[in-house]
Amino acid sequence: MGTRTEPFEFHATFSELDEGLEKLHESVQLLREASGRTPEDTNVMHFEIALAEIGANVLTHGRPNHVDPPVEYDLELDHDTAKASFIDRGPAVVDFATRAMPDAESESGRGLPMARWLLDELIYKREGEVNKWRLVKRL
Amino acid sequence: MSLEIQSRQADNGVTVVAPTGRLDVAGAPTLKEAISEALKNGPPRVVLDMEGISFVDSTGLGSVIAALKQIRSSQGDLRLAAPNQQVRVVLELTTLDRVFPYFSTVEEALTGF
Repeated sequence: MGTRTEPFEFHATFSELDEGLEKLHESVQLLREASGRTPEDTNVMHFEIALAEIGANVLTHGRPNHVDPPVEYDLELDHDTAKASFIDRGPAVVDFATRAMPDAESESGRGLPMARWLLDELIYKREGEVNKWRLVKRL
Repeated sequence: MSLEIQSRQADNGVTVVAPTGRLDVAGAPTLKEAISEALKNGPPRVVLDMEGISFVDSTGLGSVIAALKQIRSSQGDLRLAAPNQQVRVVLELTTLDRVFPYFSTVEEALTGF
């Protein structure tokens, strides 16, 4: 791609949906700048779509009692690869690997299938009472 | 950035609903409310002007599908206009571009509607 890449890391914790979504998009904008990509860059755009889907899911379900510890979010640029992770303490995601794209009339259920398509790796693990997500996209 | 919505009546009576901001899990309820309001106040023909939408997620898209179903149940129709590249990518990925053929501009969407 002939792009310049600067070391880039972003860490945040989120307690609220709006604030969390705002920070996620802000982090991608910073990554875009660090990697010298334009807003039209398809790979970064695909990464942002997947990140926003998983992030929205985590922020919506990851703090069911609103008293739990905040969602932890990390993003880094490793050479030309974007790597993000979320840690939340919401309920386990039971059908992570099998959820398929719903039919055209459906109003929900597209987030996980879209994210799986768009990323090079999407890993979900339940460890004790904690959900761990890892998203990887080669830019 | 919360979603802000402006609505207007075009010369041919079609309601043009123009959201600005991110149409995502946080903004989707605002769009649903605006569409319901448009159906109360005018004929069930709506153009959704997407020029001001910077980003759409699957929940935002779900609110557009809900709007389409609501409008079609009133024997009307919904047209999408001026989606940016990111919105087009999401429509194509989910094959919803077959459900929502989109128009390049609001003027095109209003023509013959």
